[in-house]
Amino acid sequence: MNADTMSLFQDRRLAVRVAVVAAVFSLIVVGLLITNYVKRTVSDAERTARLDAMKIVLARAPGNQELITEIRELDLTVRQNMIRRLDYSRKGAWFLLVSLVVLVAGLKWQSSLDKKPPAPQPTVQTSDRQSSLAAWSRRCVGVSVLVFLSAALLLGISPRIDFEQTGPAVSPYPSPEEINRNWPYFRGPGGAGRSAHKNVPTSFDPNTGKGILWKSPVPLLAFNSPVVWEDRVFLSGADVNDRQVYCYDGSSGRLLWTGDVPALPSPSPSEEEIEPMEDTGFAAPTMATDGRRVYAIFATGDIAAFDFNGRRVWARNLGTPENTYGYASSLTMYQSLVLVQYDQATPEDERSKFIALNTFTGRTVWDANRPVGNSWTSPVVVNVADKPQLLTVADPWAIAYNPADGSEIWRADCVGGEVASSPIDANGLVLVIKPYETIVAIKPDGSGDVTKTHIAWNVEADAPDICSPVSDGEFVFLLTTEGVIYCHKVADGALVWEKDLEASFYASPSIVGDYLYLVSSKGVMFVIEIGNEIKELSRSKLDEKSYASPAFVDGRIYIRGDKHLYCITNMD
Amino acid sequence: MPESKDKVTRRGFLREGLWGTSLAALGAAVGFFSAKGSKADTVWQIDPNKCTQCGNCATYCVLAESAVKCVHAYAVCGYCNICFGYFGAEPSDINTGAENQLCPTGAIKRTYVEDPYYEYTVDEKLCNGCGKCVKGCNTFGNGSLFLQVRHDRCVNCNECSIAVACPSDAFKRVSADKPYLLKGTDDTQ
Amino acid sequence: MIRLSYTTIIIAFLFCVSAPVWSVEAFPPPEFENPHPLPETMTPQPRQDVYEYVDVAVLLAALAVSSYLVLSKRSRRWIFVLMIFCLVYFGFWREGCVCPIGSIQNVTLAIFDSSYVIPVTTVAFFVLPLVFTLFFGRTFCAAVCPLGAIQDLVLLRPLSVPKWLEGALRLCAYVYLAAAVLFAATGSAFVICRYDPFVSFFRLSGSLNILVFGFCLLLIGIFVGRPYCRFLCPYGVILRQLSRLSKRRVTITPDECIKCRLCEDSCPFGAIKQPTAEWPAADYKRNKRTLAIMLVLLPVLVLLGGWAGLTLGPAASRVHETVRLAERIYAEDAGLVEGTTDASDAFRATGTAPTALYSEASVIRGNIKFGSALAGAFVALVAGLKLIALSRRWQTQDYEADRAGCVACGRCFEYCPKEHVRLGEKEQGAVNER
Repeated sequence: MNADTMSLFQDRRLAVRVAVVAAVFSLIVVGLLITNYVKRTVSDAERTARLDAMKIVLARAPGNQELITEIRELDLTVRQNMIRRLDYSRKGAWFLLVSLVVLVAGLKWQSSLDKKPPAPQPTVQTSDRQSSLAAWSRRCVGVSVLVFLSAALLLGISPRIDFEQTGPAVSPYPSPEEINRNWPYFRGPGGAGRSAHKNVPTSFDPNTGKGILWKSPVPLLAFNSPVVWEDRVFLSGADVNDRQVYCYDGSSGRLLWTGDVPALPSPSPSEEEIEPMEDTGFAAPTMATDGRRVYAIFATGDIAAFDFNGRRVWARNLGTPENTYGYASSLTMYQSLVLVQYDQATPEDERSKFIALNTFTGRTVWDANRPVGNSWTSPVVVNVADKPQLLTVADPWAIAYNPADGSEIWRADCVGGEVASSPIDANGLVLVIKPYETIVAIKPDGSGDVTKTHIAWNVEADAPDICSPVSDGEFVFLLTTEGVIYCHKVADGALVWEKDLEASFYASPSIVGDYLYLVSSKGVMFVIEIGNEIKELSRSKLDEKSYASPAFVDGRIYIRGDKHLYCITNMD
Repeated sequence: MPESKDKVTRRGFLREGLWGTSLAALGAAVGFFSAKGSKADTVWQIDPNKCTQCGNCATYCVLAESAVKCVHAYAVCGYCNICFGYFGAEPSDINTGAENQLCPTGAIKRTYVEDPYYEYTVDEKLCNGCGKCVKGCNTFGNGSLFLQVRHDRCVNCNECSIAVACPSDAFKRVSADKPYLLKGTDDTQ
Repeated sequence: MIRLSYTTIIIAFLFCVSAPVWSVEAFPPPEFENPHPLPETMTPQPRQDVYEYVDVAVLLAALAVSSYLVLSKRSRRWIFVLMIFCLVYFGFWREGCVCPIGSIQNVTLAIFDSSYVIPVTTVAFFVLPLVFTLFFGRTFCAAVCPLGAIQDLVLLRPLSVPKWLEGALRLCAYVYLAAAVLFAATGSAFVICRYDPFVSFFRLSGSLNILVFGFCLLLIGIFVGRPYCRFLCPYGVILRQLSRLSKRRVTITPDECIKCRLCEDSCPFGAIKQPTAEWPAADYKRNKRTLAIMLVLLPVLVLLGGWAGLTLGPAASRVHETVRLAERIYAEDAGLVEGTTDASDAFRATGTAPTALYSEASVIRGNIKFGSALAGAFVALVAGLKLIALSRRWQTQDYEADRAGCVACGRCFEYCPKEHVRLGEKEQGAVNER
């Protein structure tokens, strides 16, 4: 090196200047990078949120050209910004790196010029110093060991979730005992319309108010039945615009929360607006609950799950159902599955399916195509020889599936017409209704097409077109819409007695203990003692109409009128 | 001092012994792993059958622009007019307008082939790996769009940050000889 | 012919009828009227294998050159140059991955998980620096390790860490090593990689937290020499022990120490051992008693450490994603938490019974508990041995580099007058030759 460069290298001021310039430059670049980062996370995020909101508005009013142009412009800005910012931060990182390198180089240069000759301390190592140094080192190591030990212990004893312990109520779904104690789906546990509780009231007096614990208004009219879990009663209601789920406190009748189900995009939208028959409404299907969440489905195909605090856990649309009178099949459940009977159109259209959704997430676990047309029956899950069977009925087949995976167990060709009566099991037989024509008993231990082999009896009867049958194992009761109740024997289907109650019925009959409970459309609750001849026990009248089947739990009956939800309790 | 000399020898012997043992252990390790080890490096890849399109691939990569991109298996694609990976939930119209697209960066290009088939291609320079198109295609379509780690971008970290964040355990180490798990081939079997 | 087509029709009909059952391909492949070639799915290949072997070769060369520079040439300037090269190559060019520090985890995983096949190049990255250390001392740390290089570069105003604090701080590195081995062995995580402070500088991008952590370490590193190397690096503590056994070692003086004391303050890392004074007899006795106490304390400490590790085990097991998932599923089912996470959704979608998950997670938790107990015992053992070492009477005659702690940076060479003599001789020799 010649003398000039040597002296340049020795110039300390130059070294300092280089370092200072590099430091300032680095700070500027850092500042710019931070601004870029902030812009990316704040203003770009805000623009993206605005864009999403505009897209939702556009979905409601498609074809709005102004809005479309606005969206396109904003979208372009967002995309350009995204790329620009990425580029900027990448370039900025390189600039920062280079300037930091220059900074470090400058500082090292300066420090190499500042090097002083070594000047050892005047003190000399003595043995005292050495042993005290050793002692302090030991103490320090001891302290750090204590620190680590206590940190480990503190972290270790902090509360944690121990999945290894077998505790109560860890199951993702309720036990059969819990299900039987409550009224979790349409027609109660097993969809049989039966309750095992012993102290259900048998009458009430609306004039004096005796027996009516409370009555609470229901905001939106609908025809689904109440479902009950412990002290919570659930209903749904809907009209053409809204779909809602209501939760009432069973003891006080207070409306605890209302859950809204939004209009969700359908994977198979229909061209026309959905217009269910007035007698069906938008919320004909009854809800289902497993004690952890409640599930509700509506005529639009929207199905949602809410937890017991009212928070919507999931919601989706299964595709708009094509159904002449309006979708009405209620939900039922099996373990961690919500079971949806989605019958549509005609058998030739091949659109009917059975769908099982996971209760936690709403995702489809299995679905099965059904060779049937639209129906208004509800599925039920029963136990046959300790194995579960999912029973479904629609024109022309009665089909039983394995609810865990949707595989077909048996099917029988014995149904026809527009069927709304759900199947039941009675004393080991499956009873199926063909409206106006017959009642059929099927032996459920077959497999495949059992039309020719497993039909126990097929008896002509004035079978109902709406109400489902109910049985105590010995007798099965059919209730027609016009008000005639028929009692047949389960063993062979023979008619035992009949009676015209001179009322009209939409709610299905139920059996609690030794009594048959019927609720007429005018709101009269008939309680009839079961036996070889009819014996009416009582009639109690609500002062409003009722179309939904009641729910029976320990010591209470919940009846839904067209305006209120009633809680009936014992009059003592 | 004779004592210290003995000590030195003993310590020296111990040191020599430990040295020899360490060297032998390292040699054994090399031998063991050379026999078991692979000649090729391992790289990270997504198993498209396990992926649940959660969106973490776009945000958890250590690189500013994620190394995960959407990839199209053309042999599996249905070339549909209404592509569920291209169009959003409720498109205003079936055209390439920005308001109809699902992709937030406009990385999918829709080109007309013949009636009624359209071809959909992914521009990797624009794709950010968010997986929205993959979700749409897998839920309603054939599932021909899927996410893959692109090895011209991936830095091959020893522990992939996306793999740590993946909720469905879809990331696995594969040999660098076969670095892709493509749909519509035997790779995903 | 007719019969054949009849059969074909039946088969085709059955095909069509059964098609709805397959939910795999909802839409059939297109049938183009005009032939349209399907585009190819691009598959850009990763870095070719040969380059991995090139990396190993560069590592080997760098280690050899570094050893030569430290022990033979004894030139701080050239060590610096090599350090810059290795920082650029292994740091910024190769983006710091795979490094020998991280390879501890790969090797551990390969031992415990038979399904993980470790690439041979990674084994080389693990073994080569260890072998060179066995022969030449910590020449890897001097000029080859990019993490060490980046810290060495920012060291501008070295302050000395009090000697009594050093041993305690170094315990952190043993904890880090124990944790790294535990979590790698159980397949939970690669913690060294996850918390590597400098790799985000090398990649010029990364998580904000790690960037800030690295930046803070570098800020500290301006004043405290190589803080990561001395107090955190898990590979460093292995190198320390092997360096104690090395065949050749770094010396401050090229031949004989004249105890001129000029090198006393030359080491920014506190790795110079000073000559000790004779200990009086009274101290000797007291020292023997302390030593006896420490010897008895050792097994007590090990047991305590093992017990603490065992207690920490279940909490430590949460690092493993299967254990975390099991806890989440349990909490959701029991109603302890609201809502679901992506992970629990994905798990439930697979349809596996939670009991299978719980039993798998139990096994993992058991392994981690056991490993954690061992880790705790290990750290306690190290601490106990340190206490014993501190109770022994040690004697140093000359100014020498601490075999374990010296990172062979070569800063002390120019402080030694004997070194200047050697360089002068060289110059003299060169002059004579001319």
